[in-house]
Amino acid sequence: MPNRPAFLLGIGIMAVSAYAAIAALAWPLKTALFPLVISIPLFVLATIEVVSLWVSGARFSTTKDFQRPPAEVPGTVAALRSLAAAGWILGFFAAILLFGFLVAVPVFLLAYLRFQARESWLFSIVFTAVVWAVFWGLFDYALHLPFASGMLF
Amino acid sequence: MIEALFQGLLQVLAWKPLLFMLIGIVLGFWVGLLPGLGGATTLALMLPFIYGMQPIEAFAFLLGMHSVVATTGDITSILFGVPGEATTAAIILDGHAMAKKGEAGRALGAALSSSLVGAMIGAFALAAAVPIVRPLVLSFGSPELFMLAIVGLAFIAALSAEGGRGMLRGFTAGGLGLLLSMVGQDPQAGVARYTFNTLYLWQGLDLVPVLVGLFAIPELVDLAVRGTSIAGELPVGKLTKGALEGVKDTFRHFWLTIRCSLIGTFIGIMPGLGGSVAQWLAYGHAAQSARTAEERKGFGNGDVRGVIGPGAACNSKEGGSLVPTVAFGVPGSTAMAILLGGFFLLGLVPGPDMLTTHLTVTFSMVWTIVLANVITVTACFLFLDRLARLTSVPAHRLIPVILVLVFIGSYTTNNQYADILVTLIFGAVGWLMVSAGWPRAPFVLGLVLGKIAENYLYISVARYEVAWLTRPVVVVLFALAVVVIVYPILRARRLARREANA
Repeated sequence: MPNRPAFLLGIGIMAVSAYAAIAALAWPLKTALFPLVISIPLFVLATIEVVSLWVSGARFSTTKDFQRPPAEVPGTVAALRSLAAAGWILGFFAAILLFGFLVAVPVFLLAYLRFQARESWLFSIVFTAVVWAVFWGLFDYALHLPFASGMLF
Repeated sequence: MIEALFQGLLQVLAWKPLLFMLIGIVLGFWVGLLPGLGGATTLALMLPFIYGMQPIEAFAFLLGMHSVVATTGDITSILFGVPGEATTAAIILDGHAMAKKGEAGRALGAALSSSLVGAMIGAFALAAAVPIVRPLVLSFGSPELFMLAIVGLAFIAALSAEGGRGMLRGFTAGGLGLLLSMVGQDPQAGVARYTFNTLYLWQGLDLVPVLVGLFAIPELVDLAVRGTSIAGELPVGKLTKGALEGVKDTFRHFWLTIRCSLIGTFIGIMPGLGGSVAQWLAYGHAAQSARTAEERKGFGNGDVRGVIGPGAACNSKEGGSLVPTVAFGVPGSTAMAILLGGFFLLGLVPGPDMLTTHLTVTFSMVWTIVLANVITVTACFLFLDRLARLTSVPAHRLIPVILVLVFIGSYTTNNQYADILVTLIFGAVGWLMVSAGWPRAPFVLGLVLGKIAENYLYISVARYEVAWLTRPVVVVLFALAVVVIVYPILRARRLARREANA
């Protein structure tokens, strides 16, 4: 089985570049020129990557990028924790959409600290209050950032 | 001229300009620390406040604020892996890796000291280059600027990953960045490209939500998986000592610091390329300075040279980008375009006047950059212990706070929820790239350079047709791009042969 994230990325880029090239065909030449010049070679490069993943199996090139430390956490635990993290991130976004920033921030902080981090109620409430006060004081009161209201409030 | 130089210093040190500069520094300090809240945005917000100020007071305020944003942006990037500024993303690669190894103090020391050296060189460039640089800038037309963008992309794509496979991924990532830069209204014909009939996408993908997602979300997930503090179980160590080590690192690699500062200054001088390009080019150059395969593997794993390079370039570009702004009224970046607005608000006209009648004002800008950076770096060193100790705070307390900052940083770009959605999408892309071992630097550079490159290519073809390819500087830059791609392959083969023989 090839390196799954690399495979997904390769397939994704193939799809995106193919779509980009096909969509560009409908535009006037001066609009389509650059997208075509980029998307066609990109499709070829992504195809080479996907094919070579199948041929040579899982390969992980050494990048000059931040790299994960050697696995200290077992694979299943890591997968579960990744899913939980993704769930919290998406949940926070959903809360912002529903309630707006001003309500979603304290709700998320309190819920995360109490139920995910398993901090005590007292710590969770105090920590949430302090962070929320800084957030409100800086972004809302001082900088007047126009926070949109949520769908419910 | 010497008299004007000293006049500039004396006028900046007068109580009113100094006070305005300090207010600007305090603002810039926090703007830099907060992810997403950009220096350019803050400059725009502060512009109305300069009505009624004298030119030297106004520039002390605006430049004092702007020139420290990148310095404190490095702190957020190193400690949390969240780009404090779009221009401080490259420093994450090694700076945050060092923080994870318990070397936050050293990384911060190196970043701050290289930033200071970079700022000095940028300021010196502003003072010295104005009479010299005019013919150079005027000789660079669209074809040369297009090729410069291509060299930048070739540089980072070829150097950001090891071996032929890594290079393939580097170029694919760069191509994806270029492709995504085309989202939005086509600048030539006004056709909406890849917008899916969404008004939000008409202006294209903003850099901040993309960068914040690409770098911060994978870090947060990684932190949640490990369940420890950023520095893990490793002791953060004696930070002041670590910071001193970082300062020594800057001077140990002094020529690298100088070279990267010059790269930043040069990119700053070239109008339209911007600070985001400077840091990645400097990072690429720092990575190239590794002599052995073993050394090269250290980049991305916490090599201090990966901190010094972008740190120096990021600050030196400020002085550089002021050169075309002051001398020709051609802004070198978005922030400089806003600053140009400041000139007109104050009744000043950039150009020859700034080099003759208002020479003192020009030199006061040089001194403001120098003084603001000295004050900021000193303040940062004083609070370093507290700042770096944040890496030993347990992950479960940091994650929700960072996530709030990430979402706010992203949202403030356009004040739309779609910005957060973009962050989430690119967070997933970033996570996949890290998991798959793909470099993110070429992707970012492609995204930054895409629109610029397309514009320059279009103008080059429209103005010169095919003849633009034969211009001498274009030929030299093309040859440089080929060398940048071919040299790492040849060097890898030579090393492999040498290792096989040994």
